[in-house]
Amino acid sequence: MPSLTLLGQAVVSGLLAGGLYGLLALGLSLSWGLLRLVNLSHFALALLGAYLTYQLGHVAHLAPWTAAALIVPVFFVVGMALHAVFARFRVTEFTSLLVTFGLAVILESVIQWFWTADYRRYETPWASASTRVGPLFVPTLELLACLTAATLALATWAWLRFTYVGKALRAAAEDPAMAGAFGVNHRAHAFVLSGISAAYAGVAGAFIALISTLAPAQIWVWLGTVFAVAIIGGLGHPVGALLAGFLIGVSESVTMAVAAPAWAPLVSFSILIALLVLRPERV
Amino acid sequence: MLLEARGLAIAYGDARAVWDATLAVDAGEVVAVIGPNGAGKSTLVNTIAGLHRPLAGALSFDGLDLGAVAPHRVCRHGIALVPEGRRLFARMSVEENLDMGCYRHEARRARAATLERVYGLFPILRARRRQAAGSLSGGQQQMVAIGRALMARPRLLLLDEPSLGLAPAVVDHMFEIIRAIHAEGVTILLVEQNVVRALEIADRAYVLEEGRVVAEGPPAVLREQTRIQEAYLGLRDGGGPS
Amino acid sequence: MRPALGLVAAGLALATLPLAGLPAFYESFLYLVFHWVALATSWSLLSGYAGYFSFGHGAFFGAGMYTTATLTAGLGVPFLAALPVAAAVATLLSAGIGAVVFRIRRLRGELFGLLTLAITFVLATIVLNTRLDGGPGVYLSNVPLPRLVASPTGTFYLLALGLAVLTLGAAYAITRSRLGLGLFAIHDDEDVAEVEGVPTFAYKLAAFALSAGIAGIAGGIHAMYVSYVTVPDTFSITVPLYVVLMSVLGGSRHWLGPAVGAAIITASLYAFTGGQQAVIGRAVVAFALILVILLLPEGVVPAVLRRRRPRARAEPAAPARPATEARDAPGVTLECHDVWKAFGGIQALRGVSLHVAPGEIVGLVGPNGSGKTTLINVISGHYAADRGRIALGPVSLTGRAAHAIAGLGVSRTYQIPRPFAHFTALDNVALAATFGAARCAPAEARAEARQWLAFTGLGRRATALPHELNLHERKFLELARALAGRPRVLLLDEVLSGLNPGEITSAVELIRQIRARGVAILFVEHLMRAVLDLSDRVVVLNEGEVIATGTPSEAMRAARVVEVYLGRAHVA
Repeated sequence: MPSLTLLGQAVVSGLLAGGLYGLLALGLSLSWGLLRLVNLSHFALALLGAYLTYQLGHVAHLAPWTAAALIVPVFFVVGMALHAVFARFRVTEFTSLLVTFGLAVILESVIQWFWTADYRRYETPWASASTRVGPLFVPTLELLACLTAATLALATWAWLRFTYVGKALRAAAEDPAMAGAFGVNHRAHAFVLSGISAAYAGVAGAFIALISTLAPAQIWVWLGTVFAVAIIGGLGHPVGALLAGFLIGVSESVTMAVAAPAWAPLVSFSILIALLVLRPERV
Repeated sequence: MLLEARGLAIAYGDARAVWDATLAVDAGEVVAVIGPNGAGKSTLVNTIAGLHRPLAGALSFDGLDLGAVAPHRVCRHGIALVPEGRRLFARMSVEENLDMGCYRHEARRARAATLERVYGLFPILRARRRQAAGSLSGGQQQMVAIGRALMARPRLLLLDEPSLGLAPAVVDHMFEIIRAIHAEGVTILLVEQNVVRALEIADRAYVLEEGRVVAEGPPAVLREQTRIQEAYLGLRDGGGPS
Repeated sequence: MRPALGLVAAGLALATLPLAGLPAFYESFLYLVFHWVALATSWSLLSGYAGYFSFGHGAFFGAGMYTTATLTAGLGVPFLAALPVAAAVATLLSAGIGAVVFRIRRLRGELFGLLTLAITFVLATIVLNTRLDGGPGVYLSNVPLPRLVASPTGTFYLLALGLAVLTLGAAYAITRSRLGLGLFAIHDDEDVAEVEGVPTFAYKLAAFALSAGIAGIAGGIHAMYVSYVTVPDTFSITVPLYVVLMSVLGGSRHWLGPAVGAAIITASLYAFTGGQQAVIGRAVVAFALILVILLLPEGVVPAVLRRRRPRARAEPAAPARPATEARDAPGVTLECHDVWKAFGGIQALRGVSLHVAPGEIVGLVGPNGSGKTTLINVISGHYAADRGRIALGPVSLTGRAAHAIAGLGVSRTYQIPRPFAHFTALDNVALAATFGAARCAPAEARAEARQWLAFTGLGRRATALPHELNLHERKFLELARALAGRPRVLLLDEVLSGLNPGEITSAVELIRQIRARGVAILFVEHLMRAVLDLSDRVVVLNEGEVIATGTPSEAMRAARVVEVYLGRAHVA
């Protein structure tokens, strides 16, 4: 059994990693829960965002926040464009999975074409910065990512909960025809939500660039875990996605500390399988 | 005439639900549409609310051709629907459901006053306003559905089977509420299976059978006709209860 | 049988290639083609035919790889002896998963896909962390390869060719068997398939097991081919991705579709070899996939076949005479006694009792939500009753699966017709003849189906797909399908709604003819005119309770019924 400090450190890094999971799951959960579109290319878009942040920082020497400020609005437009394709071809929940699967592969190829399959590392002065809390280390960038995730999740929650557009989106997810009868233009809102979801992928990408080593195949590494997070958190529930991210992050890092690092995926996927088999009506 | 429908034909895909319906509602009236299950009553009101497009015929509201209005714009002109089976946004709270009623801008500005009026009509909803609409009892859900429609500040309220599945005492209450709403000056088009009740409250009524209007007139006249019993009970000789 | 002969001939011809001294490069290329043909075709057995898209084919492929690796490199078992074990392990794994997952109604569509993907990752983690692999991978380079021909590449080529031919043969046979027919029906509407008599659970399990078993063998051969097995390569997203792409591209509902897709994709990936070119190749393939899904959702093979053979072939209309009377089973009484059913807090049926005798039409009427359709769903076995007894003569139906009840001679129609969307009118009816009480052999079923189409006046529409039929024709197709099962009890759920007066008259006449054959008919209908016309007796339901029974005019005049229908006066 590892020491208490080690366990504590595992919990801290789990929470921080979980914040990033939650951030990635946020966009997926929104479009799946509220538009019934499963966007597998969300991860590819996030990784593209990471590479662009890297490129703008490494080559054009733009600060990561400047890069993000450029990337996020562009991604918003990309998300809307993607939705235009879905709307044009009346893509169903299931075909959206296949189409975005293809799109993810294309994006992976694009990334590999420009940046090759070699690992890329965006070296910044903040990469090794950390705060010490008692015996525990809290890396600054991870903390920032986690706080951003929490802020976005709460802001999205408040937007869905308190604004008319947010309520209209939730109402249309339940009964689009009735929402329409009260004046909701769901088609227009769906574009906005798709844009937001893609913009969140851009935000996540900026942090991925700062925190981890980049490789094109990472698209598929995140996929399983983040899907598990989105489903466990409840589709369309931003705060749920965040909390599920924490749950998975902590259970993975504690598993790593107690058993071996390689056992970590077993936890998240077992939770996902159990949830699908025991409570399929929640999805 | 506030609402006028002439020779309406409506279908789901190629399944005809309404063949030929002509009806009119004047401002300030309560007009009932009665008829057995499957007669096309719900399809008719849903079409007026913009949920379906008519295949043929003319539909106008206050002189405006409703056929040319996008579905989500129909409500702007002052038509609100209380649909059959209530169709609440079950996972949203009571007050959020009411908020969806005043989604259109003009109604939104009057939200506070309308909300007071709705809570005045249904005090129980104020107590339950944070609860998920899907968790309420049938009668309370019906109140939310009516309240949601009232939040739109409609000139014409379409009520589709407001008594369906409710206990008799609750039905009594519901009809009192409908009277109260009417007394405030809202025009009402009421679809109802409960003929006796509908004819008590209506100024005029239309009898719909197999997608066609087969009789119309004031309640006193319709009560004398055998047409209603024929339509409902299929009895040719018009015999009443034995 | 021509495709089967063609397959054998092609297989034999291709098998001679290594003897002709083909360069090793081509043998390797063709090995990969047949490897993917076997994998994609096996995937489509469940996922294409029955529509249960699995993203877990990599799990069974990987199970085969690691079984072979462990047995040969670890335990010294000869390579060819390890292959059947690889198949068995993959089959057992899939059967275990299917036995749990196929019982859960909500786990269809994308949730099934996600679940199988998650299972792949779990399996990968277990293999990675146990002695099966442990991290560094397993070398098979010391395992002796039996030489079928002189060159090792030729041997692998022959193994993959053999597996591909066997898989395609199995796929061809399945698409022409009861199993295939049932799987296609599950794809279009699983609930209806079960009610028509298809043992859906057993069929899905069989297809899943066979599909996984073939993937296991393909994995076993591939382990030897690559000779070094690692977890990231084996359980990567590549296998599930490619089999889905290949099948969807070629047409996952056609026995040859996945094979064509596999050949196209493998060849185009091979055309772009070397670092950067391979990257473009992947992108091109993915883009092609998107285009196919959006523009040719059924796949290349069905699209080409449709172009070559326009569907307008007019079938000769069979003479409009009823099918042979002699085979009708003796009549039997349907009896419901004290049937209860609740959904959550809503009590839909409260102690309903009724009976329908052979040759009798019982009209079941009542206001909306009174429980009429629920009763039909309970009798046909779609829902189990909470309490009470339902029997067909001496045979109790309580607790039986819907397909078993259909097999005993209970047929139903749906208020909104639910034909199998990808089946022609003829095949829709033939399915019922195959799986209902009639139990026809597939060939015989089509002849039988033709008769029932003629009986319902649809003789000229045999080759039409359901979406080409109008409502009236779809309603009559629904009837023809119900009749083709040779029912002893027929449950009609609002067959007349939405029809025009002329169509109603012909439907009423048809129902009379069915009664004359000794069938017991429970007739749910809103159209009171027709109910009173047709019914021998009427049962009135209200809020799940029987409130009146009797001759039509008695029942409809009962004070309680009049009150329920016309409402009660305001008490105050």
